[in-house]
Amino acid sequence: MLVLRDIRKSFGTILAVDGITLEVRAGEIFGLLGPNGAGKSTTISIATGLLAPSSGEVDLLSLGSPSQPTVRRHLGLAPQEITLYEGLSARENLLFFASLYGVPQSGARVDELLRLVELDTRAKSRVASFSGGMKRRLNLAAALVHDPQLLLLDEPTAGVDPQSRNRILELVRVLAAQGKTIVYTTHYMEEAAKVCHRVGIVDHGHMLDVGTTRELIERHGGTSAVIVLRDGVETRIETMDPVGEVARQLASGGVGGVRVEQPDLESVFLKLTGRSLRE
Amino acid sequence: MNAIFTIACKDLRLMSRDKGEMFFTFVFPRILATVFGLVFAGGGDGGSKIDLAVVIESDATLARDLARDLAEDGAFEVTQVPQRALAEELVRKGRVTAAIILPASMQDSAAGLFSGGGIPIEALVDPSRRAEIGLIQGKLNELAFRQLSAMFTDADSMRQLMKGARESVARATDLSPTQKLAAGALIAAGGAFSDSIISRGSIDGEAPHRRDASGWSPVSIKIEELAARKGGPRDSFDVSFPQGIVWGLAGCVMAFATSLVSERVRGTLDRLRLAPITRGQLLAGKGVACFTTALLVQLVLLALTVFAFSSHVQQPLRLLLAFLAAAFAFSGISMFIAGACRTEAQAQGAGRGALLLLAIIGGGSLPLFLMPPFFKTVSLVSPFRWAVAAIEGPFWRDTPFSDQLLPLAVLVAIGAVGLGLGVQAMRAHNR
Repeated sequence: MLVLRDIRKSFGTILAVDGITLEVRAGEIFGLLGPNGAGKSTTISIATGLLAPSSGEVDLLSLGSPSQPTVRRHLGLAPQEITLYEGLSARENLLFFASLYGVPQSGARVDELLRLVELDTRAKSRVASFSGGMKRRLNLAAALVHDPQLLLLDEPTAGVDPQSRNRILELVRVLAAQGKTIVYTTHYMEEAAKVCHRVGIVDHGHMLDVGTTRELIERHGGTSAVIVLRDGVETRIETMDPVGEVARQLASGGVGGVRVEQPDLESVFLKLTGRSLRE
Repeated sequence: MNAIFTIACKDLRLMSRDKGEMFFTFVFPRILATVFGLVFAGGGDGGSKIDLAVVIESDATLARDLARDLAEDGAFEVTQVPQRALAEELVRKGRVTAAIILPASMQDSAAGLFSGGGIPIEALVDPSRRAEIGLIQGKLNELAFRQLSAMFTDADSMRQLMKGARESVARATDLSPTQKLAAGALIAAGGAFSDSIISRGSIDGEAPHRRDASGWSPVSIKIEELAARKGGPRDSFDVSFPQGIVWGLAGCVMAFATSLVSERVRGTLDRLRLAPITRGQLLAGKGVACFTTALLVQLVLLALTVFAFSSHVQQPLRLLLAFLAAAFAFSGISMFIAGACRTEAQAQGAGRGALLLLAIIGGGSLPLFLMPPFFKTVSLVSPFRWAVAAIEGPFWRDTPFSDQLLPLAVLVAIGAVGLGLGVQAMRAHNR
């Protein structure tokens, strides 16, 4: 569906993307996970054709570079910024973008999208009056107006409350179920683990590894840890068999409490970069 | 074409919903044009004096007294000039509202009141100052009546007047002997009647000029409207109309330049660039919106000037050509500012500042023809100056088309260069 081959992009002396190669398969949700400034948004901009790479190749649907208008009409982008016109209503915004894409029966399509993002009751309200979560959902709807095959969502939950975040994540799952291929960038490892079929770990412009969450954890997550509380003191025990270890500790008696820490994408990132994802 | 139209419509809709931009693009220039027009017309506060030039060609006491009364009247600022030609020049240059000529025949006519007509006074006026002309006429009647009243209540003057009247009747060739006899008797009776009035007035101590004289006009004012000299404005709105256009275009340019920078900074431009349209279509859409608004600003101001202030367009088609060229030039400038400024703050600060300066030196505050020579030269760098030059020719100067060609060419060149540089700069932002 989308192939990036050895992409590099520099801004003056700053190397923002350093040799990223990846292949996004049709129908999957592919996560680009990395801290702010890792090069995720630059990679997305190159993938959409908005930025020309300093070197490397991008191919969309085997049609060629998305810098060509005919190729990029197959992709939809919900950028990290709210790219809507605040002076227009929700419906006017979508109709405008639909018109640019030459969407037939655009009115019906726009109404359908407004229902999908649960903004049909606010269709005639100006975007300026919307909450952050509502703007995010409309931002997503604007990317879908021409029914693209590939959807690129750049930090789609940035700055929204937990309730709106859950609605957006649910929306992503619905779109994937409809057959859309989705590239999802985030610095929230929980989001990546929840919705992505495969995840690419990005840092300092490098793609560190790609795989399913399970594969990445197996490769880089390390062992589980059993934390045992005894006489007010916590003891951390690294183990490959956390269930067996818990059983052994309980059998030995005198245990005030016990909990298990499973490795996750945060552990993977820590192992790969030597620092936390949120640093 | 559909994409260009769609983008242009979106921009126009957004602008129409921005009250601030609408005010500075459409309302502010109209206010400015009206205020400047009224100020230049001298009718701004209604309390300022009317400038008059007075030429005394008559040796008559009445003429001197009338000139003195005019000078002492609070409504006028009188400059006495020795010759009619000089007074005429002052009116044509707009230095005075009117020139009052008190002709050599004045005394004779005063003496000949009874053989018909009033005291002839000539007024050379600037036709654009009609409001003041009415006031001047009223004042002249009032002052002349005061002089005549004084004359009629002065025994010596009255006797002299009666004597002159008798002589005038005797000389008249269009009266039959019977009519002359009747007129002589009437004048004699009038003389006796005025003697009795004068003596009674003296006894009563009543001021003679306070007697009621309503319904009688003692002067015959011959008004001559001086045609505007070629090269000078017909009225103050000829000056304020291009000034309004300067500020309207400035508002329009800033609105669209800032809008384009905002689109880039806020990311909506990226969404537009992702659509299956070419960069040329995208920029053309933005340009068409700016061009349409710039054209609309000028047409709205023209409508105001023509319908509200009765201005007349000398060459409508050539004026439309000037409007089109100006709209193109300022669309290019808008693109250039949008490309040159990286942030909205830059556009609103540096962009607006530069535009303000160019508008001022380009005739936005002081009309070009009133500028000192040095500033006239400096103004050549301002695109507003060329827009004013292109518009003034067909609007009121009625200059030949060849005179309009250079401003039109400069405007088109400015537009093309602005568009080119703006597009290049915007490409650089996207690299």
